[in-house]
Amino acid sequence: MKRLLPLLLIIILGVLTALPWIAGPTLVQFAINALMLATLAQGWNIIGGFAGYASFGNSIFFGLGSYGVAIAMVQWNLPFGVGLVIGVVFSVLFALAMGVPVLRLRGHYFAIATLALSQVMSAIFSNLDIAGRNIGLVLPLLRSDTLFYELSLGLLVIATLTVFWLSRSRFGFGLIAIRENEDAAQSMGVNTTRYKVLAFTLAGIFSSLAGGIHAYWITFIDPNSAFDLSLNVKMIIMAVFGGPGSVLGPVIGAALLSAISELLSSTLSSVASLFFGVVIVIAVILMPKGLTDCWLRFPVTGWRYFIHNIRQHRL
Amino acid sequence: MSTPILSLKNISKRFGGLLAVNGVNIDIMPGETVGLIGPNGAGKTTLVSLISGTLTPTTGEIVFQGHNITALPAFERARLGIGRTFQIMKPFPGLTVLDNVAVGALYGTTTTNKALSQARDEAMEWLRRMDLHSKAQQRAEELGGPDRKRLELAKAMAMKPTLLLLDEVMAGLNLVEIDEVIEAIKVVRETGISILVIEHMMKVIQSLSDRLLVLHHGQQIMAGTPQDVLNDPRVIEAYLGKRRV
Ligand SMILES: Nc1ncnc2c1ncn2[C@@H]1O[C@H](COP(=O)(O)OP(=O)(O)OP(=O)(O)O)[C@@H](O)[C@H]1O
Ligand SMILES: [Mg+2]
Repeated sequence: MKRLLPLLLIIILGVLTALPWIAGPTLVQFAINALMLATLAQGWNIIGGFAGYASFGNSIFFGLGSYGVAIAMVQWNLPFGVGLVIGVVFSVLFALAMGVPVLRLRGHYFAIATLALSQVMSAIFSNLDIAGRNIGLVLPLLRSDTLFYELSLGLLVIATLTVFWLSRSRFGFGLIAIRENEDAAQSMGVNTTRYKVLAFTLAGIFSSLAGGIHAYWITFIDPNSAFDLSLNVKMIIMAVFGGPGSVLGPVIGAALLSAISELLSSTLSSVASLFFGVVIVIAVILMPKGLTDCWLRFPVTGWRYFIHNIRQHRL
Repeated sequence: MSTPILSLKNISKRFGGLLAVNGVNIDIMPGETVGLIGPNGAGKTTLVSLISGTLTPTTGEIVFQGHNITALPAFERARLGIGRTFQIMKPFPGLTVLDNVAVGALYGTTTTNKALSQARDEAMEWLRRMDLHSKAQQRAEELGGPDRKRLELAKAMAMKPTLLLLDEVMAGLNLVEIDEVIEAIKVVRETGISILVIEHMMKVIQSLSDRLLVLHHGQQIMAGTPQDVLNDPRVIEAYLGKRRV
């Protein structure tokens, strides 16, 4: 199994790369969206899954990336690539400036502070002339789903490789120590402030790039869609469902949940979202550490795995 | 006479209206094990936190191996060689016992990039010395009382500290377990590092300490050999009078 996994991944990656040439346009469009969500979930995984800071501010980076591309292309007539860089620069500056004060807060306070920040950013961009105020910006049209698809796939691969590196590096180990017990990590020599800010920044870079690609693909952004909180909720659910702190969990979570929600919404729409909610609640109770942990431990412990988890919740 | 590894110079810590530590002067010599006793609320844990950098002193100066570390954050002090255990233990609950200790080997006094596998090897060595290696792959949250204490010791020792602060490692153990953990601490002492050990159990403190300090209402009321200190009337009144163990 361990030896087969890399081979399996390479085959899957090969098929995924060829997808635009073998699948129809609807499936490719669905896949672009799913890849974007997977990248966002993977980005969230760095700050939320590894460092244990439940960020509701990752959609800010998505928004900054979107506006970076939109402003660069619409207002300054710059190429798309430059727009992506501008979005990343904004995101890094934001992460460094806000990360230091906000990451001092722990638990719910951190979550609430990032939540508030995202509302503030939305309000700020609604009043910026250069960002088209609350009307937003219309980007030049580029009809090439293949390009957007391959870009999204490439970004997800880079994000996942980064998380893979994280999972076996000293830096990643330090982030996990922070998640497990920040005081102990600090007194054992982990520069917790620096690590947290770096993790937040890294998460921000991936969210920002995803936002930039998405903006050009969708060709229209406004403050509400760019700083959309429900997007942040989605990435958290996908990462947590798949397995926070694991390498492939967030990707699997994003793929599965995107597919389920797509299937459900095309058949029965209102029951679908209810069913979806119920599935997630049950999943979180039965496997709080996500699919990957369940996959690894279920063969060892059997059904006791679920019973143990239910007990942990003290239901 | 050699220079002390740690000097506290007139250290005080105020929490609002409470002077938890009040003008304390302590020198710890290289290789020395110093016992710190005092009734509940005397300021012992506060003192440990001031040395490890979890708290910063209101007044006074802390010198460690010739560096003034008064303003340094905790992680930098750990890098200089100060390791501690917590009275309210702070394991990494979801990590394996091995990885708990590997954090110490990976960080601690190591500042260069060390491979995870090497850190785990070093961690395993400490688990062996603490007689915990058979539980290396268990999660820390699954460990029972004395194993948790050994884990705290192994975590701190994997940092390769030159000064180790032990805050009531024995609390909550029964007599047999206490003897086991005393043996573990003796293993640590044999590495030649300096130790500041806080303990309520007189038997423990006597069998480990070269020198004893007594803290009462944040002030150091006495220092000396364990024999002298434990027979001093002031100590008996302040401390032993109430809880003779
Ligand atoms: N963070 C804090 N804020 C306010 N007061 C504190 C704080 N930490 C400790 N104190 C107070 O300082 C005093 C000294 O506490 P400390 O924990 O250092 O005592 P101790 O000697 O370790 O006691 P014990 O033997 O019970 O562990 C106590 O009165 C305590 O209530
Ligand atoms: Mg105490």
